[in-house]
Amino acid sequence: MALLRTRDVSKKFGGVTALNEVDITVADKEIVGLLGPNGAGKTTLFNVISGFLKADNGRILFEENEIQHLLPYERVAIGIGRTFQHVKLFRDLTVYDNLLVAQHRHLSSGSFAAMLRLPGWRRDEKDARDRVEAILDQVNLRPWAEARPGELSYGTTRFLELACVLSLQPKVLLLDEPASGIQQKEVEALGPMLKRIRDENNCAILLIEHDMSLLLNTAERIYALDFGKVIAEGTPDEVTHNDQVLESYLGRTRRDSVA
Amino acid sequence: MSATATDTAELGLTPEAPASRPRSFIPTRNQLLGLAGLAVISLLPVPFGDFGFFVGQYAAVYAMIALSIVILTGYGGLISVMQYSFAGVGAIITGVAMASWGWPFWIALPLAALATVPVAAVVGMIAVRLKGFYLAIATLTFANALGETLFRWERVTGGQSGWLVERPAIGSLSFASDVPFYLLCLGVVLLLVWMMDGLRTSRIGRAMLAVKDNELEAQALGINVFKTKLAAFVISGIVAGIGGSFLAVLLTSVTPTAFQSPFSEFTSIVLLSLVVIGGINRAIGAFFGAITLVVTQQVFAGAECFYSFVAVYSAAVLILFVLFRPGGLVEVGQRLGALVRWKPVVGIAVILVVLGINIGGSFFFVNAC
Repeated sequence: MALLRTRDVSKKFGGVTALNEVDITVADKEIVGLLGPNGAGKTTLFNVISGFLKADNGRILFEENEIQHLLPYERVAIGIGRTFQHVKLFRDLTVYDNLLVAQHRHLSSGSFAAMLRLPGWRRDEKDARDRVEAILDQVNLRPWAEARPGELSYGTTRFLELACVLSLQPKVLLLDEPASGIQQKEVEALGPMLKRIRDENNCAILLIEHDMSLLLNTAERIYALDFGKVIAEGTPDEVTHNDQVLESYLGRTRRDSVA
Repeated sequence: MSATATDTAELGLTPEAPASRPRSFIPTRNQLLGLAGLAVISLLPVPFGDFGFFVGQYAAVYAMIALSIVILTGYGGLISVMQYSFAGVGAIITGVAMASWGWPFWIALPLAALATVPVAAVVGMIAVRLKGFYLAIATLTFANALGETLFRWERVTGGQSGWLVERPAIGSLSFASDVPFYLLCLGVVLLLVWMMDGLRTSRIGRAMLAVKDNELEAQALGINVFKTKLAAFVISGIVAGIGGSFLAVLLTSVTPTAFQSPFSEFTSIVLLSLVVIGGINRAIGAFFGAITLVVTQQVFAGAECFYSFVAVYSAAVLILFVLFRPGGLVEVGQRLGALVRWKPVVGIAVILVVLGINIGGSFFFVNAC
């Protein structure tokens, strides 16, 4: 069953076409890769799916429901989680509090309950802290619990961001270049890790990645984008042997010869 | 998720880890120290007798209004220069209810608090679409608009002379004189500080801190930014309204001129800067800020030359705080407390030097004037 589908999604910035009638499908628990040169529209597609940008036209379907009118936080609530190309996080909050903020959607007590320390608030806070404690151990972030994101290595902030997004219990996880800025040794471990994240959280993953070996070894299916258009779709093997893909991204590029 | 544990270990992330700072959920000793400090501050007026309590009640009431700034700006990151106008709404409603309708204070108070809700909601709905500088300018014009309409409307404000109100009583227990009224206001402001401190460690309070820090990330983690900012506006409006209501009975009269332009904007800005000195990130910072305000305004206002010195000194302190101690007096207190616990002799010596410079400097300038 298709979990997430985009239908004829287009987006223009000024005169530039960032997305041109993009149709992609992500099935339940599938790992799908997005391939394409810089400016192909991959991140724009993420922004449109997660609600940070409004598409000019086209539909976005999640579990067969149209969601293009939903706000970002509403899309989180139905199960769409995303990371950013440049890790954001909350710079003034500790690692612990970053993870605590990520528990937001699992909590329900109101502000008055908190002001008066009512039992509902106590229960909520205890649950949230218990979950954060568990996550700290699971992702080995405990030594940094009281540190702020700025004090961590870039790779570690990526894991923190991932832990935050996984706290949302998404059905589909949109990962925007998870390997960028981390060491090659760490990148090699990332592929198996993403597969395990998928297996243990029962979520699909839509992956933007410039590291070719990571993308080809992890994704089960790949869409190749160029100039905002899907130019190829298929298994990693099919896509890497597609002439258009070779020309636009992998091989002797059209752009080089023009330049 | 458990698989990620092994992965991060494999990735060699653990060896660089800094020493873990233990996290305690029952910091009884610190809490006791905090309570002791609070008790000392609460008893500050005692050595100064009647004058001390007279000033103390101003500090307590201004602390309520300042607390509204902690919620809105300290928690929510929204800059408003109209918080005194919200207090004005509370004060005017208290005046109308008590003087015109003959209601007792204890019923006028919740009405005054609730009356700020529609105002805060309307302002909030417009304001949440603005950021930083533009938000500040918008609230400035809202304060001006309220100052030129609501606070000039004679039927609401009681005209130039305003409303005369009496200080409250519970049965035979009267809060008319300064000492019981100080204790009442102190109790209320500490209750409000305690409540707002609880808010900070809750779903909605953390959402405010998150939105202040990074709106995009907050949205990505499922936070409704609009609702969060609106909640900050409404809760801070209610708190300011309560402060305004107490201000009315503190002064025993509600004079509309205090809330008209440009006085209300001026007072709002002064309160904002003093909350920064007190500590804008924590509820108790409002209390410290208000004490600083009344000490400079009430105690030293008589001595002209000395007041000039205080103004320059305050400016210097504010700049130094913004640059080096953005957490204000709260942060300074926390650091000094940590120092005392780490090296008691050095810590107490530093505290004495800081107090000595301030008190000695004051005496020097008072005499020099």
